Amino acid sequence: MNVFAGVRSAAGAEQKDAGSAGGEALLELTPHRMAVCHLVQVFAPQQEGGPATPPFPFESVAHHNRLGLFLFSLTRSCEDFLEPPLEELLRQLKAVDDLVNGWLCEQLTTTLSGLISPDDLFNFFDKLRGVLTSPEGASVEDEFLDPNSQLGVYLRCCILAFNSMTFEGVCHLLSNLVAYCNSAETSYDLAEDEDFNSEMEMSDLMDADIGVRAGVFDKYGQGYATESHMGESSSSFIHAPISLHDFDEDNIFKADENPTCLRSRWQLEAYLNQQADILEKDPSSVPLNSFNATMTQLQTLAPELHRVQFLQHLNALSHDDYVSALDNLHRYFDYSAGQGLFSRSLSANQDIIVGKYESALLSLGSLHCYFGHPKKALEAFTEAVRVSQMNNDDSCLAYILGAISNLLSKIGISSTVGIIGSPYSLGNNSGLGTPLSIQQQLLVLLKRSLKRADMLKLTSLISFDHISLAKFDLKHVQRPLVSFGPNASTKLRTCPADVCKSLRLSSHVLSDFGTGDLSTSHDNGSFSTSWLRNLSTASSSWCSSSAKPGKQIVNDFDNFHFNAQPSPIPTSVLQLAGSAYLMRATAWEHYGSAPMVRMNALVYTTCFADAASSSELSLAYVKLIQQLVVFKGYSVAFGALKIAEEKFPSSTNPHIHLLKMQLLHDRALHRGHLRVAQQICDEFGVLSSSVSGVDIELKTEASLRHARTLLAAKQFSQAAVVANSLFSTCYKYNMQVENASVLLLLAEIHKKSDNAVLGLPYALASQSFCKSFNLDLLEASATLTLAELWLALGSSHAKRALSLVYQSLPMILGHGGLELRARAHIVLAKCYLTDREYSVSEDPRAVLDPLNQATEDLQVLEYHDMAAEAYYLKAMAYNHLGKEGEREEAAARFKEHVTAVENPHDEEASLAY
Amino acid sequence: MASTSKESYRVELRAAARQLGDRCLYSAAKWAAELLVGIEPDAAAPSQPDTPSSSGAGPGGRLLHLHRSGGSSFRRRMRPGGGSEAGTPLGGVSYVSTPIPDDDAFDAGADKYLLAKTYFDCREYRRAAHVLRGHVGRKAVFLRCYALYMAGEKRKDEETIELEGSLGKSNVVNQELVALERELSTYRRTGAIDSFGLYLYGIVLRDKGCEGLARTVLVESVNSYPWNWCAWLEIQSLCTTSDILNNLNLKNHWMKDFFIASAHLELKMHEEALKRYERLMGVFRCSDYIQAQIATVQYSMRELDDADMIFEELLRTDPFRVDSMDIYSNLLYAKESLTALSFLAHRVFLTDKYRPESCCIIANYYSLKGQHEKSVLYFQRALKLNRKYLSAWTLMGHEYVELKNTPAAIDAYRRAVDINPRDYRAWYGLGQIYEMMGMPFYALYYFRKSSHLQPNDARLWIAMAQCYESDPLQMIEEAIKCYERAANSNDTEGIALHQLAKLHSMLGQSEEAAFYYKKDVERMEVEERQGQNFVEALLFLAKHCKSIGRYEEAEHYCTRLLDYTGPEKETAKSMLQGIKREQSGFPSMDIDHFAL
Repeated sequence: MNVFAGVRSAAGAEQKDAGSAGGEALLELTPHRMAVCHLVQVFAPQQEGGPATPPFPFESVAHHNRLGLFLFSLTRSCEDFLEPPLEELLRQLKAVDDLVNGWLCEQLTTTLSGLISPDDLFNFFDKLRGVLTSPEGASVEDEFLDPNSQLGVYLRCCILAFNSMTFEGVCHLLSNLVAYCNSAETSYDLAEDEDFNSEMEMSDLMDADIGVRAGVFDKYGQGYATESHMGESSSSFIHAPISLHDFDEDNIFKADENPTCLRSRWQLEAYLNQQADILEKDPSSVPLNSFNATMTQLQTLAPELHRVQFLQHLNALSHDDYVSALDNLHRYFDYSAGQGLFSRSLSANQDIIVGKYESALLSLGSLHCYFGHPKKALEAFTEAVRVSQMNNDDSCLAYILGAISNLLSKIGISSTVGIIGSPYSLGNNSGLGTPLSIQQQLLVLLKRSLKRADMLKLTSLISFDHISLAKFDLKHVQRPLVSFGPNASTKLRTCPADVCKSLRLSSHVLSDFGTGDLSTSHDNGSFSTSWLRNLSTASSSWCSSSAKPGKQIVNDFDNFHFNAQPSPIPTSVLQLAGSAYLMRATAWEHYGSAPMVRMNALVYTTCFADAASSSELSLAYVKLIQQLVVFKGYSVAFGALKIAEEKFPSSTNPHIHLLKMQLLHDRALHRGHLRVAQQICDEFGVLSSSVSGVDIELKTEASLRHARTLLAAKQFSQAAVVANSLFSTCYKYNMQVENASVLLLLAEIHKKSDNAVLGLPYALASQSFCKSFNLDLLEASATLTLAELWLALGSSHAKRALSLVYQSLPMILGHGGLELRARAHIVLAKCYLTDREYSVSEDPRAVLDPLNQATEDLQVLEYHDMAAEAYYLKAMAYNHLGKEGEREEAAARFKEHVTAVENPHDEEASLAY
Repeated sequence: MASTSKESYRVELRAAARQLGDRCLYSAAKWAAELLVGIEPDAAAPSQPDTPSSSGAGPGGRLLHLHRSGGSSFRRRMRPGGGSEAGTPLGGVSYVSTPIPDDDAFDAGADKYLLAKTYFDCREYRRAAHVLRGHVGRKAVFLRCYALYMAGEKRKDEETIELEGSLGKSNVVNQELVALERELSTYRRTGAIDSFGLYLYGIVLRDKGCEGLARTVLVESVNSYPWNWCAWLEIQSLCTTSDILNNLNLKNHWMKDFFIASAHLELKMHEEALKRYERLMGVFRCSDYIQAQIATVQYSMRELDDADMIFEELLRTDPFRVDSMDIYSNLLYAKESLTALSFLAHRVFLTDKYRPESCCIIANYYSLKGQHEKSVLYFQRALKLNRKYLSAWTLMGHEYVELKNTPAAIDAYRRAVDINPRDYRAWYGLGQIYEMMGMPFYALYYFRKSSHLQPNDARLWIAMAQCYESDPLQMIEEAIKCYERAANSNDTEGIALHQLAKLHSMLGQSEEAAFYYKKDVERMEVEERQGQNFVEALLFLAKHCKSIGRYEEAEHYCTRLLDYTGPEKETAKSMLQGIKREQSGFPSMDIDHFAL
């Protein structure tokens, strides 16, 4: 029937349901199931013999029970996609069988291979029926196979299935049975033909199955706690089969790679989830084509499991293959959207229902967002909003709102364009006559999404929205949406407290999971995922303990949880919680607290590295390295960068790549290697997409650096032009935070071009921007520039400059980097030197101390330009003091730096590190 | 010259039909024999009674009556192209003459072979294979392997039916494939294989999923024995893109022309296919196969009347034909000729009701009757008979759409697309469904796919434009672009021009709007179609001309509007008065206007 679409899904679901409920559309009889039936028959106690003595082949009650447990686990996994061949079953059975010298195995094979005619089959099932009928006079407590027990039901199902079989079916079963028995003997000859018979995979199959049993036995171990020897023997039983095979790392690796060792639907889903995690964490480790091949193989094994296509979509996405990502997305949702295929894995309060049309649109929107098509993404999201409103899918709606706000915050959209134009979607026209600005729309969206998520108890979405809100608060001044009259006083400042509050609320997601209803909320295969993980670590830990004692387990997270319950917190939640920390680091970066940045980034890298996606983790690394370069200079930073590059190759990871270029550019500028700097600048420009509004941050940084390069080359007018256009872009896209630094740069340009008067307003504007966005460190820097500008206006302003410098010093000395500190010191010295009331001979330390400090710092930074200035001042000071030796020395250093700037040599070295 | 070449074709085909039949390759033998009869009789020979040109008075007269365009029946129209160059090699290229291989001499096993063949003819495949065990002659080896393959196929079909119902395990495979592949690959390595063996090896490889190797092997086979049409068909099914087709290393035999034409048809390169078939008609004047193919091409090019004529003619000469009749039924469906379709359905039902084509025809009939449940039932039956029956999947999707069963429809279309990603109708269907579900943006992807595959189909462009134009999207500029494409690719329903005009006027681009309205009016005049759209166009043009001061034109349009009733008439009247006033009463106003 599966050919026919209309009936298929419904019939399929019913069939499955009926199968598990024990209705008439039962499991399909296979040779493997017959083998299990036979074993059950052996297990079932015979009529003669009292309850005290175990039946014939068994030595002890424990032995008997062990077979029972084994059978139990076998019957539990009877809805698998792929059944183990006889050989594997025998191998597993050996663990039980050892005590009776393989009697069980031998009996099983002879019985099965003895079935050669359809009539034999009839007799076989007749005999099975005998097992179930309880003998006369048996009391209830007696050990007879209860027809309502797991094994009894299984047996009855099999018998029923046989009875309702047509003769063709019987013939088919018989021929399968012959093949099944033969496979045990000749499997190695056919290795090239059949996929699952090679020895390697056999052991993988084995490997996987042990895990299942381990789980089952763990459960039962508790039930049998009173029988202490039982527990011991069962644990030794768990490990016994493993030792039959010599595992090595490759083999275990293969268990991960090779999906054919997975059999049950759960395991398969777990495998897919795991692969999805890998794709997110480290896309570069997954080769595009071979992964697709694996997925295709899975698809042939389980044609009804459409999630495979979704993984292919993810794979294509992570390899930037737009066309195939799009194709697979559509294929996946075409097949699955109408059906709700994973009905069995969906619990009532799961966050989002996989496979609905609105989810299709949501995914499509995210795809376009990922590939930088903001307009298309918005269209998709708007449509998604409409469809989910039509279908009353509130949770999806909340997610879509979250996604839209993510898009809006990510992609610069100039406020002059009405983007969310359609009146259907977001209710932006409600009540108010005037349309809201993009930022206000974003805020409204975020708040609505948050409210909805709160109502629907979507914890992770709440957390996400809090992070987004924090991001918003960080960069935007919250204006009241409606301001009536003059009494609505507006405070045009960002509010750091809000940011912190949001971030704190967002990491509550962790505690919510700690206390919340665990058992119901994440029954979505994550158990199986962690089980799979534990499986690989179990094997590897076993390996390392016996074969390679020095070998460390790579992932201590998994090791910690091995044999214990899997981590109660799903990866996605951990990721969100981690993002909050990363966001905190970013926030402190803005507010200008170096230690807090370091601390939060470190927390992130140490605590959330396991759950983090490669992009976020690398971002944390980037932040740490950026701190290093600011405080420790280039050599240390490049050393760290090398380490980071080992983990994330810069060719594949955009963050690291960007960082590398930033470092190289800064160093080239400092060293005065302008040609190299220009070259890197050009590379920067190429990195961003050409579509306007996309990659806006990258573009901003590129032109900022371009202006700085021009400034260093003393092409002031050009630099000013670039900076001005950058300012208007930032203004257009409402990027006020960036504006602060652009204004500062403009002030700098005017200062360098000896146009101090023109520079003053820029510096002041920058300062006020910094104030309203709480950018403390940048403000200090602006104040410093202001001081320099005053100083440039003449010695009469030295006092004012000095007071400004003193005003900014605490912040700069507390949190500023090498360059900023050196600059502050130099300006301080300059203030003193220009001050007419000050004479060097009276208080030489006031000038020399800061200058010494500055030269030291600049030495580390290799900042020739500024170092030259410092030495010049130093020489002047010594000159005044009449210390000729020191003066000559300082002058010599001055000359050294000046020539280094004027005649840059080995520029090529600037590109290496 | 002409007759010798024809004679050589005859000799080749005769031998081929015999050899193929001898190896139980029935359909290929059938094809060769049909083609043999299809060669135009020599001029010297007495004229065949069934050439239509000679019997034009009978059924031809009916055709004349039906189709106003045709002054002659289609065959006569074909003639000038083919007749003159019948003697020269087709297409002016010289063919590589391939020697007809001698059959294995009757060796000791000839009697056994005869027995095996009779078993095979009785569909007792395993028995046939058993008889030939141990024989080493190439012919015997081929028949044994082929019999095994057929036995496996038969078993496979049975199993598919037997095992039906268990989800996810429907992929039954031919059990013999592994052994056959092993054996045939050894023969191929040692060179002990003939072209028939290669053909078999090719299909075994294809069934196993090794498509690249299968293609090479099949090409080898047709290069050494080009008359096996089944081998060509297999190659065609493996050529999914024109790149693959162009990279095939084929010997230049006249059979290749048939192949290329058919492959072009499959790849929707209709013009090329038609050209090639018309050339082939030069020699194979009476071939039903070519006629059917030409009709198919014409159907695909939406020249329904011409195709209809050919099909009717085909059925007249060959009343028990089922091949390609499903296409005829599609055609009749498109023409909505219910009687003809019911007649056809009855006919194929009597001929062979358990052919997928027959089921498809019956389903089409029910669909046209509006009984979609029954239609689905018959499509399902057709698919049961042939799971890879592409058009049935697509058409079933259409039926599900009618039944408002969107998930089932999506599923059916999706399967069609997965079987052949070049099926533009299924893509179009998917797009339509999503549009119906209120997801126009999502639907765009599908429309884009379908119009990419069929860029000259106005309907697809219009569908896409309507998506863009729809209320939620409102992407008017994109819609205009799509309508322009549609207008440029023979939009028979004339939606595009009207919409273009409307959209332009919506955007305030009245010049463009007037241009398109004028074109639209011209089109409607030619087609003598006058409705609300016509009135609307006239009204706009009148207003437009008046506003830019071309009063005479405006007057012209207004007077035409007076022929219609309704509010427009009144508007036209008042406008006419206004024009008159402006022309006579206040001519100075204009001058003033310009003076300013």
